[in-house]
Amino acid sequence: MNRLKCLAFGIVAGGLVALSSSAIIAQQTPKTNPPKLRISGPAPGSAPQLSDPKHPASETVPAFIEWASRSGIKQRDEVRRMIGTARNDSAVARELCREVSAREKTDLSRTLVSLSILGELRNSEGEKCLTAFLRQPFPKGGTVANGEIVEQTSLGVLQAKAVDGLAFAHTETGDREVLQAAGAHPSRIVRAEAINAYLWNHHDSKAARETLLKIVRPDERSFLDRPRLEPGISREEFNRRLAVYAKLHLAPRPVKHAPGKLTVAQSVSDGIAPKPSPTPSPAPPQAKKGDR
Amino acid sequence: MMRTAICRIALVLAITAVLPFGASFAVCDQTSVSQADSDLWALHGCWQDFFLWQYQEYNFSSDNWGNRGWNDACNDNFEYPKAWNAAFLTTYGLLDNNDQSFHGTTDYRQLAEAPDSNFKDSVYYDATDATDIFGSFTYHWPGDDEITLSCNLFNANVLNANPASRSGDSMHEGWHGWLTEGNWDNGSAGGHRPCTKHPDGTCTNGACTVNGCDYFYFHGIGAYAFGALWQTDGTANRFHSPNQVQVEYLCDVSDQPQPWVPASVRQVAAADAAQRSAQRFINGPGYTCGSPRPWN
Repeated sequence: MNRLKCLAFGIVAGGLVALSSSAIIAQQTPKTNPPKLRISGPAPGSAPQLSDPKHPASETVPAFIEWASRSGIKQRDEVRRMIGTARNDSAVARELCREVSAREKTDLSRTLVSLSILGELRNSEGEKCLTAFLRQPFPKGGTVANGEIVEQTSLGVLQAKAVDGLAFAHTETGDREVLQAAGAHPSRIVRAEAINAYLWNHHDSKAARETLLKIVRPDERSFLDRPRLEPGISREEFNRRLAVYAKLHLAPRPVKHAPGKLTVAQSVSDGIAPKPSPTPSPAPPQAKKGDR
Repeated sequence: MMRTAICRIALVLAITAVLPFGASFAVCDQTSVSQADSDLWALHGCWQDFFLWQYQEYNFSSDNWGNRGWNDACNDNFEYPKAWNAAFLTTYGLLDNNDQSFHGTTDYRQLAEAPDSNFKDSVYYDATDATDIFGSFTYHWPGDDEITLSCNLFNANVLNANPASRSGDSMHEGWHGWLTEGNWDNGSAGGHRPCTKHPDGTCTNGACTVNGCDYFYFHGIGAYAFGALWQTDGTANRFHSPNQVQVEYLCDVSDQPQPWVPASVRQVAAADAAQRSAQRFINGPGYTCGSPRPWN
């Protein structure tokens, strides 16, 4: 009996050693440590007023954008609250709109922040600005990089943010624009976000799905089912939804290259393979004399 | 690595010899910096100890970055300072939340940094003025593999010119290194699957609408221990594609950042993840990160 216990102990101990060594392999860390984090810059500090009767919007809006842009994730509710207090100030909406127009071709990340504030504002003049932004002509061509047209993607991303604002407005006119975009906007980025935003702002209701199903492209109905990793969702719930979705959208088994040296084209990813230097063409085939 | 360095020095000397005196290389827009770059930069205020560590850990050299801010590393108009600003985000910016993050800092660092690891062979970084790519990965034998970053990751008028997208591109290109190391065939369109052109001018492959498509090998949160992203069982159950790794990284920046990561960086990370999820997956779209509330 003791011998059996000893054997069992040995097996368990051996297993634990093997497990711990595999865990070490799995969690191999980078080889050199970076310096200990030191953040030297000033913290964003207290929020400046977005709407302030003592100062024109041309002063308060840029200052607020700078502050909000630097705010951290734990300040998210505070930023929303600050924006909410300016809801009825149309001068703020007009200044944000001017900011968007002035920067959309030069600084995409600032424009994204300005559009986020404008959408969160839920002001009627802001809604008009977002509508006009969404309706601006979509570029048909431009710089192709890794298969996408850079100008289309850039504007598509900004227009998707405008759609978020229109859906959040929860007005009849806003919803109409969102539904129009969900079915007919030339950018798939915008159509996808319009579907997502419409559903979210209607609590993913059955009625909202039915409305969307009437207008979305048949090949984009799957956009209605995709999981959303949003704040508050538990890992278990997200994983459950993802598993259901993944079953409907299977990927095939990965394949390997044939063994051997990679070709020049295979050795370059996302770039253009260098042209191999021309090799002298071999002499053409010829028949021996008298072989005819 | 040594042999590569010697080759590169020889190449630079050779090019210098044939260039007329005073000739200069074209470079990206060195007069602008995006809001997201400025916001992150303001937090470290140009941290010398970090970039003196970073250039070694990422194998940057003056040969490749000399006219891109190598000798002006605190001027964030230049490409090199923007590159190390992105590395700062990867190194310190993630929360590593077991209950919500797809992968951990250890995964993303090993994928982006130069040394060889379970993820890939050793790499070095350079830059190109070409605007027909965001980045590229080139396999070299012998010597280090090459990750190239383009002006589209530096010029502020392009969406991707921000620390999140720039470091996200390092994940994407690094993952090509992983595919190469394992001899995986991810397709013939620059390491991705090609799309098929239609008479109306569109180009599709399943739900993918650009020429450079991947599969999304969906996995739940917690499916990979932190540090285990490199693992595969050779089936679609446990595998990643370059765009997938990029989306997962961007989602982790957007949704699970350190409290000090600026909103501009988080928002642009979410936007990049969303456009990639919508456009680049054959069995897509991928999931969405965060909520569509405007201020998120």
